[in-house]
Amino acid sequence: KCLEKVVLAAFCQSVVMIFSEKVSGDYEALNDRLKTLPDQLSYDIMVPFGPLAFMPGKLVHTNEVTALLGDNWFAKCSTKQAQKIVDHRMKYVKSELNDLSKTMKNFEARVGLVKDLETISSSKGGYVDIREDTENTDIAVTKGKQRKAHKPNSKPKLDAVLHLKKEVEENEEESRDGGSGKDITTKEELWARLDELEKLEELQDEQDRLSYNADMNGEDTSSFSSEEEKEGDAAPPENGLGQKPSWTSAPHSKAQPSSDREAEDDDEEEEGGGLPTIFFSHTTEPKKVRINTGKNTMLKFSERKEQKDLSKRKNKNGHSNGHSHHELHKISTPADIYRVFVDMKNGEPIPRKSILKSRSRENSVCSESSESSAADFEERRMTGRSLSHDDTTHSDTSDGITEEESPTAVPLHPASRFEAFSGTVVEKDPMPSAVPHLTIAPPALPTILERKQEEVAPDVAPPQQAPKRVSKFKAARLLQK
Amino acid sequence: MAEAIQKKLKAEVEKYSQMQKDVSKSMSARQKLETQLAENNIVKEELDLLDTTNTVYKLIGPVLVKQDLDEAKATVTKRLEYINGEIQRYETLLKDMEKKSDNHRELLSSLQQEYQRAQGLAVGKV
Repeated sequence: KCLEKVVLAAFCQSVVMIFSEKVSGDYEALNDRLKTLPDQLSYDIMVPFGPLAFMPGKLVHTNEVTALLGDNWFAKCSTKQAQKIVDHRMKYVKSELNDLSKTMKNFEARVGLVKDLETISSSKGGYVDIREDTENTDIAVTKGKQRKAHKPNSKPKLDAVLHLKKEVEENEEESRDGGSGKDITTKEELWARLDELEKLEELQDEQDRLSYNADMNGEDTSSFSSEEEKEGDAAPPENGLGQKPSWTSAPHSKAQPSSDREAEDDDEEEEGGGLPTIFFSHTTEPKKVRINTGKNTMLKFSERKEQKDLSKRKNKNGHSNGHSHHELHKISTPADIYRVFVDMKNGEPIPRKSILKSRSRENSVCSESSESSAADFEERRMTGRSLSHDDTTHSDTSDGITEEESPTAVPLHPASRFEAFSGTVVEKDPMPSAVPHLTIAPPALPTILERKQEEVAPDVAPPQQAPKRVSKFKAARLLQK
Repeated sequence: MAEAIQKKLKAEVEKYSQMQKDVSKSMSARQKLETQLAENNIVKEELDLLDTTNTVYKLIGPVLVKQDLDEAKATVTKRLEYINGEIQRYETLLKDMEKKSDNHRELLSSLQQEYQRAQGLAVGKV
């Protein structure tokens, strides 16, 4: 409508301009006539006599002109004076013309803008929407199948699940093959579970962020377990990665893959002892997964590759990670504590970056984040297992750090989980490990926790997403959709 | 119920259309006045340029009446003032009328909603 109006306005302006030009032309002619008129005293002319007849006559008083001034006012004047009047009128007309042309240009500009907007809006809207829909649908389809495969806790299935990556058809196929044995009817259940897991994750996230209470540990563990199950069933591509290690590790794995699907893989691996450490991180970027390659080195891979690698590496890394984890958990000196909070040493201890920088770390291939996240998980697990201990320790250590408990609680979970994975209750020093965590860096705890939450998931799945935390499941779903 | 509302609606619509017409009338009158204003300004300027040697005529119907230059000037000036006053008056009038029309429009819309609701109810009942 606006466009139409503008067009009309422009059109009118053009018309008016043309008209003005005519008027000015007429005035020019008049001017010429006035100039030549007084040249002679009288002119012989054919006087129009009505509409059809002419009469020869004379034109006298050639210098006397009665000019219309306007509004029914006339003035008798000489031709020169008349010329002056004409000049005045001409000036006026020209000024009017200029104004009109200006307005016309403005209108034209507006028209152009409107047209551009229309074209842009029309062009953008169509493509994007269509593409997105198709992509999502494809992912959703594959995911569903993947989840089914996850249900049975079997390594081959896990592998299949791991391979099942959102965008990897190959993986999907593998998973399908692996999970062919599973019931497809459970798809709906998987989705339902996924929803529940997502909710749990969200809850956990909120809790972790806000409450920082030991309760979180309990919740985390519980949520994790539920999530694990869900992950197993409805494995978003992210979960696939994390789930793999978790499942291989047995029921405990369920607890691990909770928050971070991808992180789980890392966690499981990091935990070492043959069990990948599961870091609770809400994968906002399901596609990328951090995999512990070597000693707690978290690398960001595409989910597909990483999943495959994870499966391969599990054995390798697990052991190595296990050792590292064990070492980390043995806290006998302050240095040990530091070690816990320091990423795996690949030659040298790499201090973990602050959680505040989680996002940046996540995106970057850094062992630190993974290590830290791994350590966090360790802590969590440790604490998770010994909730009672942890709670007490947390309370003791975090007198003024009630909020930090949550982060510590989180690390407890991984720690506990870690133990689970290893098969042995490696709660050598759940207290010490937990305590150190608490004491070492009360400020670090929250940061670590945040990292865990953010990075763990993102670590596993490279956090490329915005700071907004999205549960793994959600992320996976989103990816699917 | 619906019918009553319908009648009301029609009446209001008519009123509103009438108001719109009045608004447009006053608008056009104002525009006329504006053109006259411009013209009179030009005339004034021209008269100022002229000197007493020229005779000034005023067209009254089919008759050109001779006028004194000074008289003409005075007349034109007075006319100019009159036109200005008229414009002011019309402007205020226009504003009032616009307000009224807006109010009326709102009333109309509310009535329409009622009518639709009534219609919906009637449909439901039926």
